[in-house]
Amino acid sequence: MTLSALQIILLILVAAEINLDRRGLSLTHARPAIVGFLCGLILGDMNSGLYIGGTFTLMSLGVAALGGSSVPDYGVATIIACAFAKTTGQGPEVGMTIGLPVGMLGVQMDVLYKICNSFIAQKAQKYANERQFNKMYRILYLCPVMVAVFMSLPTAIALTAGAPLVQAILDVLPAWVTGGLSLAGKLLPGLGIAMLLHYMPAKKYFNYILIGFVLSAYLNMPVLGIALLGLALAYKFYMDNEARANVGFAGGLEDE
Amino acid sequence: MSKEPVLTKKDCVKGAIRWSLMAVTTFNYDTQLAPAVVFGIGPLLRKIYPDDDDYVEALNNHFKYFNTHPWAANLVFGATLALEDKEGISACDAVQNIKVSLMGPLAGIGDTLIWTLLPTIMGSIAGYMALEGNPVGVFLWLLTNLIFIGIRTQLMWIGYKEGTKLITKFGNRIAQITDAASVLGLTVVGALAATVVTAKTPLVFQMGEISMPLGDLLDKILPSMISVLAVWALYKLIGRKGMKVTTIILIVIVFSMICSALGILA
Repeated sequence: MTLSALQIILLILVAAEINLDRRGLSLTHARPAIVGFLCGLILGDMNSGLYIGGTFTLMSLGVAALGGSSVPDYGVATIIACAFAKTTGQGPEVGMTIGLPVGMLGVQMDVLYKICNSFIAQKAQKYANERQFNKMYRILYLCPVMVAVFMSLPTAIALTAGAPLVQAILDVLPAWVTGGLSLAGKLLPGLGIAMLLHYMPAKKYFNYILIGFVLSAYLNMPVLGIALLGLALAYKFYMDNEARANVGFAGGLEDE
Repeated sequence: MSKEPVLTKKDCVKGAIRWSLMAVTTFNYDTQLAPAVVFGIGPLLRKIYPDDDDYVEALNNHFKYFNTHPWAANLVFGATLALEDKEGISACDAVQNIKVSLMGPLAGIGDTLIWTLLPTIMGSIAGYMALEGNPVGVFLWLLTNLIFIGIRTQLMWIGYKEGTKLITKFGNRIAQITDAASVLGLTVVGALAATVVTAKTPLVFQMGEISMPLGDLLDKILPSMISVLAVWALYKLIGRKGMKVTTIILIVIVFSMICSALGILA
């Protein structure tokens, strides 16, 4: 059984929407159960859609993309699984084994759009400094466009050229390309922290960085606990400053 | 340098909606969510700073690295906008420090409650019901998300009001608070430096009969060594004259591919 052109377009739009939604609005949030429901509506097979969505939901629990890390795109996996469960006529299980590799490609796509966004962000800031404020706002719309294009690309390829092609792409890509992109996705979040250290008085107050590091690295303390301790340190720092300022003021009066 | 505040509830709701729609779509490896911050609250900054020079300075301040839980972020923006609305451009440093010191803890709370606990509860309900062919769980999940969208539109205004109260109390001590906030911020940044890079080494250290994963060995010398070394190396790279962030990103990608090919890091 083949899909109609309209169905293919709708499924690609779903892939774009859930990936935008997951990063912003958070209504469908690319949750497989919800995506499966949508695919069920589009393909006219609600039982398979819900079954595949439910299975992937339970698989994905606890897999959240935190702090800019990249995780398999279970939403896209659900779309592909639903589509191929229908076209192959071999049911949800076969669909899911085809869907998951396509979802895996989401990890690489995620790193790629984030790299493109760097250029957009720099250009926007350049416009800000040139006082071309409308241009600054307008170019930022490219960011969601990047997300929509990159994240729906695996779905578009799989639905138009067949999932075997996606699998073939994954097979042909040398391990150092896929592995390298995943590794870059793990290393690059460090760049933000490094930039932060440049903005802040890192050298002057090096000791506090050390305290935070020791608590996290050696004691595995959650960041909230560390922040509370940081608050205590900041309070002490503030009170000491305050006391010093008052003494200085009093001393000034005596000199008169 | 106090001024008359100009922002209204309507502005804050508009800012929250603009931010929420853009949020993580602008994620990039040098400033993470900063472009979405500019997009979201830019019009509000324009209202605060009619003067172009001040506006550009404020925009550049918000183009700096920012990342936290996108829902909770609204509270931070509300509070810092209240500060800018009252103190003007002289509050830039304080705004930056407050943003940095709040983003770690709010990300911690948000990632646990909203990105982990909420999907676990709603996901297991929707998931198990869906397996039985029942879409009611899906509707419940959509409804929950819809309610949260409504709440999120109000968060920036809540942050603004609470922030205004705090500023009225501590208004004349901005400089001291800025310094104290950077103490808090740097403590959190120190913690992040240990966890932000999640790469591991698969190498195994062989010595006669004894074999030991190199990762364990490194952890014995200094826990989170790879993360700290990566942050330190990137810090040094940024500090080099004429080094562009784009160049650094390309260096990291090439470096990653080499390390991946040689099996040094994964």
